Amino acid sequence: KLDDIQIAAIVSSSVFVLWFAIYWFFQIQAVRELF
Amino acid sequence: MPTSILGPYTRTIVAVALVALTIVFSLTIRVSVHTSIEPFFDWMTASWIGYIGTTWGAAFAFIEAFHMIGLAVIGGTVLVSDGRLLGLMFPDQAVSAIAPRTYRIFNWALILTLGTGVFMACAVAGKIYFLKVFWYKMLALSAGILFEYGIRRPLLAKEPAGINPWVLKLTATASIMVWFTVAALGRWIGYSG
Repeated sequence: KLDDIQIAAIVSSSVFVLWFAIYWFFQIQAVRELF
Repeated sequence: MPTSILGPYTRTIVAVALVALTIVFSLTIRVSVHTSIEPFFDWMTASWIGYIGTTWGAAFAFIEAFHMIGLAVIGGTVLVSDGRLLGLMFPDQAVSAIAPRTYRIFNWALILTLGTGVFMACAVAGKIYFLKVFWYKMLALSAGILFEYGIRRPLLAKEPAGINPWVLKLTATASIMVWFTVAALGRWIGYSG
């Protein structure tokens, strides 16, 4: 069953994965533009 | 954790609140706070640590070598323990047999990395203050430390049978991404100016 720590892990992990995926996606876009 | 105050979902509430606070901070007072702490970076440059770092290249290189070693060891512990959680490494070993063994190594490597990082920051305070990538690294580092000690370790302290395997895999993926980003942004600082 999903208890407090598991829900917290899902929330924080999802935020991190999304955050870094978006961040690095735009960095890779910048490399592609690097004209 | 103050479970009695926030109820049974204390850790979840704290995690959501920290994410929300970070977003609100970045959208509101971030610029004014950044401006107000510039004198602190001037003080770092003028301190005796900053003086040694800016005038003696060998000292900076020596300390930076230990910074890299610390980061490499952190990367090693993360890859071993999170690799096991993802089922990519040591599949014949129990998670409970591997993850706790990496904790002490991670702790000392983190102390080494933070200590040498402070020295390096003093040496190049005038540069990093204006580097956006430095602040991204500090954000990722803070998130990584809070995640490691506030989420990941308490999660792995539970009985393995009571943890959803997909939660473990998501946690391991996030952990690897956080520390990869910390390492990559650190090298980006070195590359910049």
